[in-house]
Amino acid sequence: MRLVYVFIATLVLFSVFTYAFVDKNLSYLNNLYTGLYFTNRFLLVSIYTFLISILFGCFYFLINHQKKINLKKIIFFTITVTIFAYPAALAFDIFNYITTAKVLFLYQENPYTIYPIEFKGDPYLEFTRAANKTALYGPFWIILTGIPYFLGLGNFIVILFSFKLFIVGFFASTVFLINKIDKNATLFFALNPLVIIETLVSSHNDIVMIFFALLGIYFLKSRKVLSFFSLLASIMIKFATVFLIPVFLLSLFTKFRSKYRYFAISMLVVFFVSPLREELYPWYAIWFIAFTAFLYKNKFLQNLVLVFSFGLMLRYIPYMASGNYFGPTPIIRNILMLSPVLVFLIYSWFRSLKRKNA
Amino acid sequence: MKGIKLLPFALGIILFFFIPQSSVFAQSKYVLPYPSVMPGSIFYKFNQVKEQILRYWYFGDFGQFHYNLRQSDKYLVEAKTLFDYKQYLLGNIALEKSDGYFEDIYPNFVNAKNNGKNTSEKEIMYKEAAKKHIEELKKVRNIVSSIFIWTPENESPTTLKLWESVDKSLKIRQKRL
Repeated sequence: MRLVYVFIATLVLFSVFTYAFVDKNLSYLNNLYTGLYFTNRFLLVSIYTFLISILFGCFYFLINHQKKINLKKIIFFTITVTIFAYPAALAFDIFNYITTAKVLFLYQENPYTIYPIEFKGDPYLEFTRAANKTALYGPFWIILTGIPYFLGLGNFIVILFSFKLFIVGFFASTVFLINKIDKNATLFFALNPLVIIETLVSSHNDIVMIFFALLGIYFLKSRKVLSFFSLLASIMIKFATVFLIPVFLLSLFTKFRSKYRYFAISMLVVFFVSPLREELYPWYAIWFIAFTAFLYKNKFLQNLVLVFSFGLMLRYIPYMASGNYFGPTPIIRNILMLSPVLVFLIYSWFRSLKRKNA
Repeated sequence: MKGIKLLPFALGIILFFFIPQSSVFAQSKYVLPYPSVMPGSIFYKFNQVKEQILRYWYFGDFGQFHYNLRQSDKYLVEAKTLFDYKQYLLGNIALEKSDGYFEDIYPNFVNAKNNGKNTSEKEIMYKEAAKKHIEELKKVRNIVSSIFIWTPENESPTTLKLWESVDKSLKIRQKRL
């Protein structure tokens, strides 16, 4: 299937494209700094929109031709081509993960009480964006980050890519778990461009939280203690999965059939509530995509999630174009996010009207 | 006639802008916290337990620096409030606690330096805190008598050498300027 090649080739281009965003202050990658994100904003926005559109277009066709493709191979190549992408092109969270790990494991200070900015002269401060905040994530996540941090042997580049590799491990494990629960759900999660970019490129820890939540659900009936501790581990990573508890308990003690629907709804609620705390980040969509993957029988819902994922990826455009988070940026971001959803809904409505008339 | 009735009101507003305003300048930029729960409150014991738990939560050289400074500040404010209310015995105990925490700050600088941490900002903060503490201690010295005999009901009296205590506290701070 040629479409698979297009999909993988686009991911290769996207990985190369991410290097246009190498931070000027990131001295470790000085040789790769181009300054393109200052001088050629329009070009970058155009390339980004083009690549994202191709990826989502491919994804749509891949969903509809699931039986013709070798999913394992595609996932393998997807991981291979994205692992070397620059992880801070769209968000800087990976630097926060590394700096927080450094506060705990190198400086041996509590990252919940000490700000990274207090370590005057630390070279990581030049590119860490949330250096004036104490640890933002749960304690289990911070402990887990000790693994990639120590694997990095004190070399920033090695640490950066061991963090990427660490996240890749959780992505692969999550995909494996979804496949074990329901084979038909795998593709929708594993090849969703939003999941790929936010997990394999930007290395957000949401995948780790989702992995433990799914593990908890997987062991829900067979090994209840392990199931409980898995959900607890998930909550101790990023807190959002605390919203799964009601459905989790209901599923534990009753024969609750449509649990994935309610898990998806629960995570969708947290997703829409999240702007109250900060703002609507595209990678938060991983929370509900993981559960809507199991609702593959509902084609309308899956297409809606696909279109919404696309809209969420468009949220990066205003900042990419202006370099500014303020002014009209927030409004344009919302317009871009909602437009594809609106177009899809109108299109679906017309189609259903047409069917009725026919 | 209505206009005449409004005249005092209007004059009042005008006069308001001519009231001589006295300016007060803070001597130290360092800000002490509000008084916390005082001895006698049922939450005081609870706060002391919390204080012991926090000692472990604030691990690390910088963590211990913040912890000890925070506690020293808290007990200094507590001591000053208690002296204001003539609770000399309790005030003296709080002052001793504040001294202890203040003295515990310094070794953390040595450890932090040995661990390769830049302590310059913390040292400035420490000096500012010392200046502020001295400012407050001088005020305390003015409101307490040199010796006070505390006689609780059905118990033997305690002689409190208040000036001596305050002078000792001042010395501890002055050493770090």
